[in-house]
Amino acid sequence: MNELQVLILGLLLGGVYALMASGLTLLFGVMRVVNLAHAAFIVVGAYGAYFAFELLGLDPFVALGLIMPAFFLLGMGLYRLLFPRIEGSPRFGEMTVLMTFGLALIIEGLLAFYFTGIFRSVDPPYATQAFILGPVFVPRAQLYASLTSVVLLMGLWAFLRMTRTGYAIRATMQNRVAAQVVGVNVRRISTVSFGIGMALAGAAGTLVSFIFTFFPARHWQWIAILLALIVLGGMGSLKGAVVGAVVLAVASSFVSDRIGPTWAPMTFFAALFVTLMVRPRGLFGKEIDR
Amino acid sequence: MTAPTDTTGVPARPRRRSSRGVVLGVVLLVAIALPFFRGLPAYNYVLQLGIVLFMWIAMTSSWNIVGGFAGYISLGHNVFYGIGGYLSGLLLVYAGWSPFATAVLAGLFCLALGVGFGLVTFRAHGPAFIISTIALLLMVTIFFDNWEFVGGSNGISMPLPPFPVEWIKVPFYYAMLVSAVGSVYLAYRIAHSKFGLGLRALAQDETKAEVAGIDTRRFKIAAFALSAFFVGVVGAVWAYSLSYLRPTIFFIIGVAANMVLMAIIGGRGTVAGPVVGAIVLIAVNELSVVLFGASELNIVVTGVILLGVLLFFPLGIVGTLREHGKLPAILDWD
Repeated sequence: MNELQVLILGLLLGGVYALMASGLTLLFGVMRVVNLAHAAFIVVGAYGAYFAFELLGLDPFVALGLIMPAFFLLGMGLYRLLFPRIEGSPRFGEMTVLMTFGLALIIEGLLAFYFTGIFRSVDPPYATQAFILGPVFVPRAQLYASLTSVVLLMGLWAFLRMTRTGYAIRATMQNRVAAQVVGVNVRRISTVSFGIGMALAGAAGTLVSFIFTFFPARHWQWIAILLALIVLGGMGSLKGAVVGAVVLAVASSFVSDRIGPTWAPMTFFAALFVTLMVRPRGLFGKEIDR
Repeated sequence: MTAPTDTTGVPARPRRRSSRGVVLGVVLLVAIALPFFRGLPAYNYVLQLGIVLFMWIAMTSSWNIVGGFAGYISLGHNVFYGIGGYLSGLLLVYAGWSPFATAVLAGLFCLALGVGFGLVTFRAHGPAFIISTIALLLMVTIFFDNWEFVGGSNGISMPLPPFPVEWIKVPFYYAMLVSAVGSVYLAYRIAHSKFGLGLRALAQDETKAEVAGIDTRRFKIAAFALSAFFVGVVGAVWAYSLSYLRPTIFFIIGVAANMVLMAIIGGRGTVAGPVVGAIVLIAVNELSVVLFGASELNIVVTGVILLGVLLFFPLGIVGTLREHGKLPAILDWD
C-alpha cells in the first residue's frame, strides 16, 4: 500500500483507540485506579451492540444512545460496590489492579460461558463499504467510528472545561486532598467519574463492534495496547491518551504493512518499554505514584 | 544469615519450633515414600495430583519473592515458565539432552533473563511496573507465536520419556517435589536474611528504605531474578511431562493469575502462604471440576475468589490467622 493510504488507516484507527483509552486514563487520573477490566467492559459493550443489532435490528449508532447511559449507571454501581472498602488501603493502586484483574476474569468467564468463544462482529451495511478518493480509499465504518469518537472526546473535553462537575473532576485529578479541602465531595466525584469512564468504555465497545472482530478473551490484547498507549501519553492525561493513541496507531499501521500484521501489536509494547526506560512518566504525565 | 535470634524471650518458642520440625519432616517423608506404594487406589491420579501441587507450590513460592516480599506484582511471571519449557524442550529435540538435566540450565537462563528484564522495568513503580509485566508476557507470546523454528502457534512435539509406562510419573513427581522443597527453602532463607529484611523494608516504603541505605534497585532486580529461577525449572519439567510445547499452554495469562491468586489466598509476603494457597486452590479446582465439569465457569470462580479475598481477607489465610494470634506453630515459618 502507498504511504498515504497507510497513514489514513492509521489515523482512523487512532481515533478509535483514543476513545478506548480515554476512560482508562480518566479513572487513573481521578482515582488512581488502574482498571484492568476496562477492555473487558469494552467487549461487553461490543456484545451489547451485537445483540441490539441481531435481535432488535438497531444500528450501532442507535444502540450507542442506550449503551452509554446503561454503562454510566453500571459504573457508578460498581464503584460503590467495590472501591469504598479499600479506599484507605496503603497500597491502593496495587489493590485496584488486582481487584480489576479479578473482575476481568469474571467478565471473560461469564461471556465465554453464555456466548461461547465464537468470533463475532456487527455487520451493518456500511461495514464493508469505502469512499474512493483518487488513489486512496477510506473505509466508511472506520471513518464513522473515528468521527464519533472525536465528537465524544470533544464532548468530554467540553464537560471537563465548562461544567461545575467538570471543574471538580479536574480539581480532584490535580490534587485529591486539596480538592477535598476546598469543598469537593471527592467520593461523589469519584463515583461520577467511574460512571463516565464506563460510559466511554461502552461507547468504545459499540464502535469497535463493527470495525474489529471480538470474542471473550479479546480484551487481554486490547487492555495491553491501551495500557501501552496511556503509559506513553502519561497516565492520567487525556491529552496524552489521544496523542499516544494516534501516534502508536499510525506506527502500528506501518509495521503491519511493512513487516506483517501479526507483528503490529509489538509496536505498542516496544513503545511501552522505551517509555519506561527513557521517561517513565510519559509525554504529558505527572510523576507516577509510588 | 542464620535464623534470627529470639529477642522476645518467650520460653515456649524453642519447643514449638522443634515439634514443627518433626511434623514437617514426617510430611516430607510421606511425600518421598508415596511413589513406593504402588497398591494405592488411584495411584496414577495421586501422583499426578502431587506433580501439579508441587509445581504450583514452586511457582507461587517463587512469585512471592518479588510479589510478596518486595511488593512488586508481576502478572507476566509465566514467561519464565514458558521459556524454561521451551529451552529444555528444544535441547531435547535438537540435541537429545534430557530435560531432567537441563531443567537447572533453564532455571539459570530464566534467572539471567530476570536480571535483564529487571534492569529495564524497575525504573517504574507500582501500577506502571505491573503493566510492563503484562506487556512482557504479550510480547513473548507474539514472539513464540511467530517463531517458525519452534513450530509457531502450532507448537512442537518432543520425544516421549524413555521410562517404563507403569513408572512414568515417578521421575516427574520427584523432580517437582525437589523444586517445591527447593523454592520454599529459598523463600525461607530469603525471609530470614538481611536481603529479605531489605525487601520488606522497600515494600513498605521505598524512599525510606533508600534513605536507610538499601540499594533498592539492586535488591528488586535480585528478587525478580531469584523468583524466576524455579519457575523456569518447573516449566522445563512440566513441558517434558506433556511432551509438547505450545504457546497456549504456557503463555496464557491464566497461569500468572493462578500464581497471584494462590499467593494472595495463602498470604502474600509470608513463607507458608504460597504452600497453603496452592493446596487450597488446587483442592477447590479439583472439586469444581468434579461438581461442574471443566468449563469457562472455572475462571469465573477464580475471579470471584480473588475479589472476595482482596475485599474481606487482604492478608490471606496465613496473614489473617497470624493477626488473630491463631496461626498454628507448624505454619509459622517466618
